[in-house]
Amino acid sequence: MSHTRRSSTLTQLAAAMVAFAVCAALLESGGLFDWATRLDLGPLRTLALPVATGLHNAVARTGLEAVRAKSITALARAGWSDDPAAAEGETTTADSGATTVTIPVPSPTKPGVVPETKLATPVAPGPPPPTVPLAGDPPLLSVLPALQAKAQGKPLVVALAGDSMMAVGLAETLLRQSTKYPNIKFVKVFKSGTGLARPEVFSWAREYPAMLGAAKPDIVLVAIGANDGQGFVDNGVTYPFGSDGWKTVYQQRVAAYLGMISAGNTQVLWLSLPPMKSETYGSKIKLVNRIAYTVVGSNPEASWYSTAGLIGNADGSFRDFGAVGGKQTRLRAADGIHMSVDGASLITDKLLPWLSPPAPTPAGPAPAQGAHP
Amino acid sequence: MLFPTVQYAVFFLVVLAIAWALVRNNLAHKMFLLVASYLFYGVWSWRYVPLLFLVSLFAGLVAQQIQRRGTSDKEARERKLWLVGGVTVCLLVLVYYKYTSFLLLTLLGLWGAVGHAPQWNVPAPFLPLGVSFFVFHAISLMGDIYKRKLRQPLHLLDALLYVAFFPQLIAGPILRASSFIPQLLQPRDPFGIRVNRGFGLILAGLFKKVILSNTLSTRLVEPVFSAPGTFHGGDVLLAIYGYAAQIYCDFSGYTDIAIGCALLLGYRFPRNFNRPYTATDPQDFWQRWHISLSSWLRDYLYIPLGGSRGGSGRTYANLMITMLLGGLWHGASWTFVMWGGLQGVYLIGHRLWAGLHSPGLDRMRATRWWTWVSRLLMFHAVCIGWVFFRSPTFELALSVFKQLGSRGAVTMASAPVVLTLLGGLFGQYLPRRWGVALQMEVARWPMAVRGAALALGVFAIEVLGPTGVAPFIYFQF
Repeated sequence: MSHTRRSSTLTQLAAAMVAFAVCAALLESGGLFDWATRLDLGPLRTLALPVATGLHNAVARTGLEAVRAKSITALARAGWSDDPAAAEGETTTADSGATTVTIPVPSPTKPGVVPETKLATPVAPGPPPPTVPLAGDPPLLSVLPALQAKAQGKPLVVALAGDSMMAVGLAETLLRQSTKYPNIKFVKVFKSGTGLARPEVFSWAREYPAMLGAAKPDIVLVAIGANDGQGFVDNGVTYPFGSDGWKTVYQQRVAAYLGMISAGNTQVLWLSLPPMKSETYGSKIKLVNRIAYTVVGSNPEASWYSTAGLIGNADGSFRDFGAVGGKQTRLRAADGIHMSVDGASLITDKLLPWLSPPAPTPAGPAPAQGAHP
Repeated sequence: MLFPTVQYAVFFLVVLAIAWALVRNNLAHKMFLLVASYLFYGVWSWRYVPLLFLVSLFAGLVAQQIQRRGTSDKEARERKLWLVGGVTVCLLVLVYYKYTSFLLLTLLGLWGAVGHAPQWNVPAPFLPLGVSFFVFHAISLMGDIYKRKLRQPLHLLDALLYVAFFPQLIAGPILRASSFIPQLLQPRDPFGIRVNRGFGLILAGLFKKVILSNTLSTRLVEPVFSAPGTFHGGDVLLAIYGYAAQIYCDFSGYTDIAIGCALLLGYRFPRNFNRPYTATDPQDFWQRWHISLSSWLRDYLYIPLGGSRGGSGRTYANLMITMLLGGLWHGASWTFVMWGGLQGVYLIGHRLWAGLHSPGLDRMRATRWWTWVSRLLMFHAVCIGWVFFRSPTFELALSVFKQLGSRGAVTMASAPVVLTLLGGLFGQYLPRRWGVALQMEVARWPMAVRGAALALGVFAIEVLGPTGVAPFIYFQF
């Protein structure tokens, strides 16, 4: 067998890989720690978190971690970062057993910095909102509430908030049709892959004000919770999904989020998550919906809007195909979770006329019915 | 399991170590790689591991039946029957999982045009990850055996590993059984590992995916293509160029990492991209873009249809059929068919143009400036196709084109967008000698330094890349 200079031996490969693994562990200890903290509860997280924490604390003593943090900060200052809420100097302590070392907060994104003038004020953490007994299942259909008055002559500012349930389908459809509604101004306050169950992974309390910036929404449309069918750790206590403790803490987190987006008497329309194709996943989402429905019922600024009756079957079950504009089409994305553009239009066709009603007749508009649970 | 994740890095390091530890026992080595490949796939969804196993087992058994038969007329007929039956079953699997809803909706649409179509309310099946790729591998296995490109007796384990080998499982490159299975027959050479090339490809792939593709996607392409009506022409044009760069960086980045990982394991994959935006004509483009697919379509579709053997009209029809089906392979939507049709029109148009000759025309074609004009024209023709490829509906694609005429401020040209766009498009024009010089320089470094350099490169990419890991575009195909 002939070997050229381009080829290496197994021993050489092993030397290179060991050097790679050691250097990567040193340089990326912060990244590995962030990664481990964001893992879903399960064996991988149980195994990875202590290792990553130990490594991170050990490397932090050498000051090498500062290289990563400073690089990210410098890039953020230069305008490279895509994290609008990156903040500097926030620290917490990771328990490594015998010793504790102060380390940066595991940011869901990157701990970079953008000029403070661009940031809105992050929401100060307060005591957790009280929880209330869970309401029953949400209705399959609900009526849109009365639209709160807004200043005449100005466009209605509508914030589109949530996770990929807003980003995929709904926001796309609303934004595409926005050119037909010059009296509505949409503000994007959604981010895919986020949720309310794991604020240590993505903190909406930190990100929402930053994403909103200087905008003052008249109304917030929110669709969120598709990633929340998972357990979490809070104050060192593990809460498996669906346990009583999980329900209590999750309800507090939903209430805190709703309190934040409805601050200053901002009207909120909470769109239910639609029925899901997978039965296992769908049953989790039913609980998420039920908790959100309960929380919405306790907030005077918020109204619940059920999408199940619009995009699902009459009994609220999952529906993949349906008629839109007289044409059979697919209502849901291939993943059986998100809505297709056609499916989303079944909902936005109700929302847009509501957000932009025709000028009132001399007799006045018909009173709309509230949709509180 | 996505390539640019910690999970994959740990998985690969463990697999690499164990695979080389087992290298003296080729059977154990291959069995381990097969189990690792199923684990890699199962992390996404265990539900479809049996499907992957059954498709590859079926293809392997059919290929063995084809291989056992000789050259007599009777046996030749039987060989053909086994091939046709095997390919049909594989295609039915693909059609069921990928095209059920597309076919049903098309049928219902036609029905609705002439009468009252019934309501359809049965959920479509979930699309298994990489189904188009592993079905094509299965077909290639049976096809190569049928064409007697593989002389050695086929072992089932080799057939299973060929279809499921994890670096190429989800998004290619599409390997030929005739080039990969012979590599499985003998133990990998522990003295002939292309470490430099492997490291270089993995770093290049990560750079293209994590920095270039992800930045362009999150900061330019997604916002504009989500609602083109809310942007002016300059932004829309930027987004079209951005998508051209994004899809190239995304897909070629994936295959670079795949090829690099395979090299470190001692296996060689074919090249899948060769500076596609330097192409001067459609034929040239398809020899540079997704080479493993275009050559697959050529060998298993275009040539069996008759290729260019039946006169101009037949050739054009074969080209168009091949490209239309190639478009449909990418996704169950008429916009993909449109994209494929456009490629067919380009190829036919180019053949007609190339057939025109005059002394002046030939002189012009030989000039340097014409090469650049051709590149510019070809790139923009490709971009027109990408608009249909990226848009879920014709309505959206047309609104993208319509918005090109809208005048107003360019708002999306931030420094990261411009830099990554330039990198994604003009990186293909960097002189090859730079890469060769770099490889020669790196070859002089001690191995530990090369490993450290790889770590430094990965670190830089992680710091520079946007947050989160977007799935690769080609995963959906």
